Amino acid sequence: MSKSQAESWIYFFLGLSCFLIPGGVAIFIAYDRGISFAPVLMFTGIVIWGGLFWLFPFICGKFRKGKKKVTFDERDQLIHKRAVMVAYVVLWLYFVAACVIAWCIVGPHGSISVNVMPLTLLGGLVIFTFVQGLASLIQYGRGGGEK
Amino acid sequence: MEPRNKIKNNIRKLRFENGEMTQQQLADKAGVTRQTIIAIEGGKYSPSLTLAFKIAKVFSVKIEGVFEYEE
Repeated sequence: MSKSQAESWIYFFLGLSCFLIPGGVAIFIAYDRGISFAPVLMFTGIVIWGGLFWLFPFICGKFRKGKKKVTFDERDQLIHKRAVMVAYVVLWLYFVAACVIAWCIVGPHGSISVNVMPLTLLGGLVIFTFVQGLASLIQYGRGGGEK
Repeated sequence: MEPRNKIKNNIRKLRFENGEMTQQQLADKAGVTRQTIIAIEGGKYSPSLTLAFKIAKVFSVKIEGVFEYEE
């Protein structure tokens, strides 16, 4: 497994475990009990996820052993580029869906809280990272970077 | 439906003919990862022109001796 592929797995599971799952559980609990601590849990997930995301390159660089060899070549670059493009397309679709769904739920004469805006942005960030990791993994699984 | 990869290669054969070179050794000489060499040998990835020339240079053959385009 290449370094880039390992990082893709990390991003995939980080996004899944540190935010999506706790966030989903928090929303379910808040909806079921009417408790509004969902934002707190989501913020906690962001902090954990963001911290790991920031620390990961330093940790890996510190414990990497052996002689230095190529870890990111043209194929990895192509896979990464395609994964980012796919993630941006999904991000765009997510924002379109968020706007349309909000309009459908609230209606043309309704209003929503401004707190929804940063949460929407945050959701976009998570989805972007998750989809980028997933797209990278799928390409690596196929042999990667086929033109 | 058009085949995914029309470019065939005989890198595996050339590796064994050149002192049973391993994939890692070829990767180190060509400046890529071992996974890329595996993908090229398996026909799952078509290398760039630069990489194709580098691989041919490792085996001291012309690029046509390594890669073949099937019509």
